[in-house]
Amino acid sequence: MMEKLGSRALPAFAIGFALYYAPGYAFTGANSSFSWPLFTYFPAVDMWNWGLVPGNDNIGPPMWWYGWIASAAVVGLAFAAIAMLLPEKSTAKAWSVAIWVVPVVMFAFLLNWELSWFVPGWQPISLSSPAAPAGPAAPPGPPPAPE
Amino acid sequence: MEITVLLILHGILAVFLLGAITHQALGVFWPRRPGQTDFVANARGVRPQIYATPIAIMYVAQFILGALLYPTYRVVARPPLQDLQLTYIIGFFEVKENFAAIMLAMLPAYLYFWKRGPEVASTRAGITAILFLTTWYNFIAGHIVNNARGLF
Repeated sequence: MMEKLGSRALPAFAIGFALYYAPGYAFTGANSSFSWPLFTYFPAVDMWNWGLVPGNDNIGPPMWWYGWIASAAVVGLAFAAIAMLLPEKSTAKAWSVAIWVVPVVMFAFLLNWELSWFVPGWQPISLSSPAAPAGPAAPPGPPPAPE
Repeated sequence: MEITVLLILHGILAVFLLGAITHQALGVFWPRRPGQTDFVANARGVRPQIYATPIAIMYVAQFILGALLYPTYRVVARPPLQDLQLTYIIGFFEVKENFAAIMLAMLPAYLYFWKRGPEVASTRAGITAILFLTTWYNFIAGHIVNNARGLF
């Protein structure tokens, strides 16, 4: 049982986590239609809210990082559960390769969106139309902040 | 005051974590050859497998410290960086937090593959390499972000 858990569920958890977390970071903004983070924390007023909540001058900046991690962990657990249902022998090699390939791919995906912090005017490369989500919500002036 | 203590602990633990993952990575990718006795060879002549559990424990502890420090960074440290338009400093931290989160999720698999035999050596090497690179980045980026307020 432990062998099955380790060879499939643990890599699947990490893969599911990364596959959700990276888009969650990239596509979360004040106007996002989907609530990528499970909850939002407002550190200036020590307040927690379910789902994606934008900040304002009264409650200060939002922190979505904790919420992204929680959501990604839920997705990771779902991936792990599904992995346990798949055939062991035919998928073992795939998990042992995907466990390090997927995170690297997700890091590259994130870099595409994070470059806006380093390169003025950088527009993330997207597969969809120019009207695609801008990722980190962009206030006037220099890049940032999804948070 | 508590935040300063946490920050110092975060920095100290980072050094231990960095040392451990570096020794492990050296043991995997540049092991000591028989007969080599110099200092660098001895740094490489470790048994990489014994580092896995301590690395995982230190990583989790480091992650918790970072998570406790993050709100203060968000409210106190980051706004001045935005006002000064030092967005690349903020970017360093953004990359750091993303590396930290994804690597945290990889830790259980990392531990599992380090307890297996040579049949998963390449997987083990891949995960170790990623952990090595992200840990070094996070260490350097954390220092840059922490020092930025003192530099500008």
